[in-house]
Amino acid sequence: MRSLWMLTLANYRSFVRDRAALFWTLAFPVIFVVLFGTIFSGSEAPEYRIGWVDRDGTPAATQLRDAVTATTILVPTDVTDDAAAEAAMRDGDLDGIVVVPSGLGEAFAAGSAGGEVEPIALLVTTDPSRQTASAAIGQTLAGVAGAVNLQLSGGRPVLVVEGRAIQADELNGASYFVPSILAMALMQLGVFAAIPLVALREKLVLKRLAATPLSRGTLVGGNVTVRLLIAAVQTVIIVGLGVLAFQVVIVGGPLAVAFLVVLGAVTFIALGYVIASFTKTEEAANGVTQFVQLPMMFLSGIFFPLELLPEWLRGLALLMPLTYLGDALRQVMVGGVPFMPLPVDVAVLAGWLVGCVAISARYFRWQ
Amino acid sequence: MTTPLTSATMPDGPTEAIIRVEDVHKRYGDVLAVDGVSFEVRRGEIFGLLGPNGAGKTTTVEMLEGLRKPDRGRLTVLGVDVARHPDRLKPRIGVQLQTAALFPLLSVEELIDLFASFYRRARPTSELIDALDLGEKRRSKVRDLSGGQQQRLSVALALVNEPEIVFLDEPTTGMDPAARRSLWGLVTGLRERGTTILLTTHYMEEAEILCNRLAIMDHGRIMEVGTVAELVGRRFQDRAVHVGGLSGLGRDRLEALSGVRGVAVEGDEAILYTRDVPGTIAAVLAAAEASGVEPTDLLVRRPTLEDVFLDLTGRALRD
Repeated sequence: MRSLWMLTLANYRSFVRDRAALFWTLAFPVIFVVLFGTIFSGSEAPEYRIGWVDRDGTPAATQLRDAVTATTILVPTDVTDDAAAEAAMRDGDLDGIVVVPSGLGEAFAAGSAGGEVEPIALLVTTDPSRQTASAAIGQTLAGVAGAVNLQLSGGRPVLVVEGRAIQADELNGASYFVPSILAMALMQLGVFAAIPLVALREKLVLKRLAATPLSRGTLVGGNVTVRLLIAAVQTVIIVGLGVLAFQVVIVGGPLAVAFLVVLGAVTFIALGYVIASFTKTEEAANGVTQFVQLPMMFLSGIFFPLELLPEWLRGLALLMPLTYLGDALRQVMVGGVPFMPLPVDVAVLAGWLVGCVAISARYFRWQ
Repeated sequence: MTTPLTSATMPDGPTEAIIRVEDVHKRYGDVLAVDGVSFEVRRGEIFGLLGPNGAGKTTTVEMLEGLRKPDRGRLTVLGVDVARHPDRLKPRIGVQLQTAALFPLLSVEELIDLFASFYRRARPTSELIDALDLGEKRRSKVRDLSGGQQQRLSVALALVNEPEIVFLDEPTTGMDPAARRSLWGLVTGLRERGTTILLTTHYMEEAEILCNRLAIMDHGRIMEVGTVAELVGRRFQDRAVHVGGLSGLGRDRLEALSGVRGVAVEGDEAILYTRDVPGTIAAVLAAAEASGVEPTDLLVRRPTLEDVFLDLTGRALRD
């Protein structure tokens, strides 16, 4: 136990004293968040007035209204008449309109009972010419819907958000980028683990350690532990920056987010060990790592949604574990539109994890 | 080809064999790195493997450390079959690899603490730092140390767990003469504490000064085993007697002296090769007395390991 702690400490010290590693794992994702956050969030006040048309009238609808109010980004005003609401929107008194369809209460009740439910849709009207407002309203509502779904049915879609502006502008906004860039950062943290590992082997440090009673399990444990700690730091920095500087609303519970962060980090660390299994020199590990991480960075829906990719590239994206981590984090953290059902994302990541561990166990050489 | 000479062992006695290597072979691809090596190391001695680079010394030592498995043959260290149970052995031995390899971004102190945590019991870090004279560098990062300092650090790491046996693979390579002597002192001190030491070296002086017994290795084979005196004596029975101030005596008279088998004259000094040193010295002194010549210097020298190595392998050990 003491040797695990000392090894973790040694790995931590080696990491923080390596400027390049620090840059890639901490500064690089922060730069992206700031860059995209600044580009895609305007200078408008982050508070939007929406007309609230309640055609359901059950307590569930009232709770939903309270949840929307609680975001502090949307300020609902009750309106009974669609036409009046549209007029108010044209006059600039409202930034958008939300119609709660009748049957919401029933659908919620059925959803929480665990039955199969036809998803019920909130109808949202926004002004597509006001990009930032449209995006903010759409994403905030999507976030609320995501939280409701998580609470009611563990994430199966009971409540969805419909509206042109939302679909089209999904890309625009820090809400999309924060979970995506967190996924990217975790991916890089993991696969870059290959480089110091290969360097230690090349310099015969691993061989020297093999001459001590230290078990290989402890050696790997120290390595993984320190990377998980760094993953936690990355998560706090990236999410904190998104929430404080770019008004991103995190709807997922901390446990669900932590689960995905750990699963993602461990999966990509295992991928790093696979890379280390097939490279002999530090330079080779460097090259292979870039070869693995760059396509993932650009094709896994990190910088633009997968729907925008041509068919054949989307097929490629489906092969990449980062696609599933990004999708899962967007769903859970900001209620993003699912590319895959959440259980599929988790299952694919778990599959990659098991596969990578098996390959490393078979092919990784200590000397 | 001479057979390796291993003396009979007395179990549990002071000369118990603590390391036993029996007909060990190891091949890398086409290269037969170790080709039927057998020898024994006794408890409490400093045993040297002497040979040029590529002789198979490192491969032999790494098999004893449990880092490589032999293709054939048997290695027993501290009663443990190394190839089968390396984990039983590792807590009890100390290892210094030929290429000093350590975490480059950790400090000397941090690294020793780290290695100490791998063992149940460990010497205090400050004690090791003092013993290896690394006090000024205790907070320096490993990558900022000189070659000799890194070498001393890797020796310190080999001593962390107060091992019963220490394996030192070319421990003084890269050290300056002062550091080398100080390490020799340390190794001798370890033996005095009862530690057994197996070291490899290609420095003749190091082997002569440190090793109780040594094995001469070349091309993956042990050429001969014994103490320095035995190794040299087995090949060269003669001693060289240097006598100064005898130029007036004449070469013919020197050659006729008792026991003299050869004479070389260098200026004022005569070198007499003999198997009967006292007889020859007495005869020289008598002859000088009779001729009224007074000898100035007298030196008896034996042939060196270098001569033995040259004789065994047909090549010099050092470049």
